[in-house]
Amino acid sequence: MNRANRKGRLKHQLSPYLWLLPSFALMSVMVLLPIITVFYRSLQKFSKAGRIKGFIGFGNFEKVLGSSKFLTVFQNTLVWTVCVVVISTILGIIIGMILNTEFKGRKIARAIVVFPWATSLIIQASVWKFIINTDHGALNSLLMKLGIISSPVNWTSSPGIWFAWEIWVGIFVTVPFVAFCALSGLQSIESSLYESAAIDGAGFWQKTFYITLPLIRPSLTVATVLNIIYVFNSFPIIWAMTKGDPASKTDTLVTYLYKLAFINGENGEASAVSVLSFVFLCVVAIVYLMLSSRGGDKE
Amino acid sequence: MSRKTIAGALAIVLALGAAAALDTVTVMAADKTPISVIAAQYGPNTTQWWADFQDSFNKANPDIDLTVEVVSWNDIYTKVNTLLQNDKAPDILNIDTFADYQSDDLLLPVKDYISDETYAKFYPAFLDQSVVDGTCWAVPDLASVRGLFYNKDILDKAGVEVPTTWDELTAACKAIKEKCGDDVYPWGIDMTTDEGQAAFSYYTWNNGGGFVDENGDWALDSDKNVEAIEYAIGLVKDGYTNTDPATQTRYDLQDLFGQGKLAMMIGPNGIPTYLKDGGYKVNYGISTIPTNTDTSTAQGVMDRFMVFDNDDDDTKLAAITKFFDTFYDDDPYSKWVLMEDFLPATKTGADAMVKADDSYSGWLDILASAKFYPTAKAEWIDVKQGVIDAEQQALLGGDVKQLLKDLQDSVVNG
Repeated sequence: MNRANRKGRLKHQLSPYLWLLPSFALMSVMVLLPIITVFYRSLQKFSKAGRIKGFIGFGNFEKVLGSSKFLTVFQNTLVWTVCVVVISTILGIIIGMILNTEFKGRKIARAIVVFPWATSLIIQASVWKFIINTDHGALNSLLMKLGIISSPVNWTSSPGIWFAWEIWVGIFVTVPFVAFCALSGLQSIESSLYESAAIDGAGFWQKTFYITLPLIRPSLTVATVLNIIYVFNSFPIIWAMTKGDPASKTDTLVTYLYKLAFINGENGEASAVSVLSFVFLCVVAIVYLMLSSRGGDKE
Repeated sequence: MSRKTIAGALAIVLALGAAAALDTVTVMAADKTPISVIAAQYGPNTTQWWADFQDSFNKANPDIDLTVEVVSWNDIYTKVNTLLQNDKAPDILNIDTFADYQSDDLLLPVKDYISDETYAKFYPAFLDQSVVDGTCWAVPDLASVRGLFYNKDILDKAGVEVPTTWDELTAACKAIKEKCGDDVYPWGIDMTTDEGQAAFSYYTWNNGGGFVDENGDWALDSDKNVEAIEYAIGLVKDGYTNTDPATQTRYDLQDLFGQGKLAMMIGPNGIPTYLKDGGYKVNYGISTIPTNTDTSTAQGVMDRFMVFDNDDDDTKLAAITKFFDTFYDDDPYSKWVLMEDFLPATKTGADAMVKADDSYSGWLDILASAKFYPTAKAEWIDVKQGVIDAEQQALLGGDVKQLLKDLQDSVVNG
């Protein structure tokens, strides 16, 4: 083998890494570095002004896990994530299937479905907070004009109901993403599959469960993992609507750690909560991906 | 030359150009003494006021380069803490509390940078609020004071006088509820994360309690406090208040008040401007906060300037002194205070204000007797969040005595 040839092969082998270098550098600075910093900070003692005062081992974790609030907030986070992800996935698939059928005005319908997704979360949440407001909300005004109610109804009479509204807004803004992921999967299914199934006498439900759902599963798997991460870490909806009040009854881990860091001045504890959610989320994402890929191998 | 080479060469030239430009800026500014200020945004006029001040100050002092950054209240703590963590403290900070910075030894004593002439202008009682261990660490930039705002028409309709005591307040709420039904909330309460500590002070101070005892030690679970908070929660439970005190902020209450849906609320002296700017036409009056003691205690709020210890030399300290002398000069200072409808923290400022508009004299009298939050104590931030949390838990049915006892224990024992 001559020298020029060997050099060319080396160049050929190295070039993919060279091309990856910028994104690797970017990832290191924007993703890895902050993660390492948060892990480091979770083991440090902080003053209220945010200055590091030395290493305290797992002191911050002990404080966080020993707080009576943490369990409530963790439960809230699970309820929030599971409800928003599961319900919006089911609704998203249904809407995706509707948008995939031929009907007049389908293009307009598709555009309308994008709206909640295209608007910023903080605006969505503020608008919904206004809609359900007891004193000058749109919902009460509408119902009173229609004569359905005679005096304003308090739509947010308890922390549980507040939280349910927040979950609803979460679903409302997440559905479009799932619907479009489902739609892209649906569009790639050959119509001949349905035709031959129809010839074999398959009904709507059989076609849905044996053709549609298995074939759109790959795109939904990715959508679900992304959704779990986004929803788990979602901050604007809860912050704009209740700020986690009253008494952390509507807090999730993210709003809770924000309050710890930026209102209570507990940077160490906030970093510890951050580390705990990061680890938890990693485990959930890995388990989910393993389960869904194992299911895929069987088929 | 290939296209790639040209692009690479261009990029290098651009980068070098940018670096050179930056160098020029540094060199140009080098013969001036730079002062950086981070200031809280009080309202829509603050940013412009500071921009004008910066321009005129820099023109009048060619050897000083003043830069003021105005930051919203939502972001200012995050911003300052991030700067401090990276050892990039501003020279001057305008914010509400100072104790966290002082306890980290980050501040300079006021005497190091405020001239005697300017120092003499402040109300001594205001300066006392920033004293730790006999040293004053911050100067007040402005103040506001809170009183009772009531809707005259609703009170007339209900046939009640303006309440001055708790008994009268309860009776007034009852009468309003009977006469106006569901259309009007008799009393406004805000126990939100935004400002729930204010509610704590309105009721405890007016029941002879408060955050601290006569020795200045935390006394959060005193019997007077328990009684006061139980009274406030009782008003909510009896249906005399807005529906959701844990999430309705004072601004929500001000809107309800402006719309004539709320009969009475406690709020700052800036509410008249808020109502005027919002286009609300409500017939209202102002009075003292209802009390369960002999005299009503008003609530004062004060913000401050503090200077960070950045190992400044004498030239820098002189420039900072110049900044404060200019700021507290009567003319710019009275404009500063009036800009967002606040009250002055200096005697000369107050005199100028009353001369310009006599209607302020009432507020200034209230301010003179007002109590302030114990912000000089290092645990204040925990106490502030703690009382808000206790109030919100009490709204959900928690036992006030136990909640305040737990809070007192956690604050005292760390």
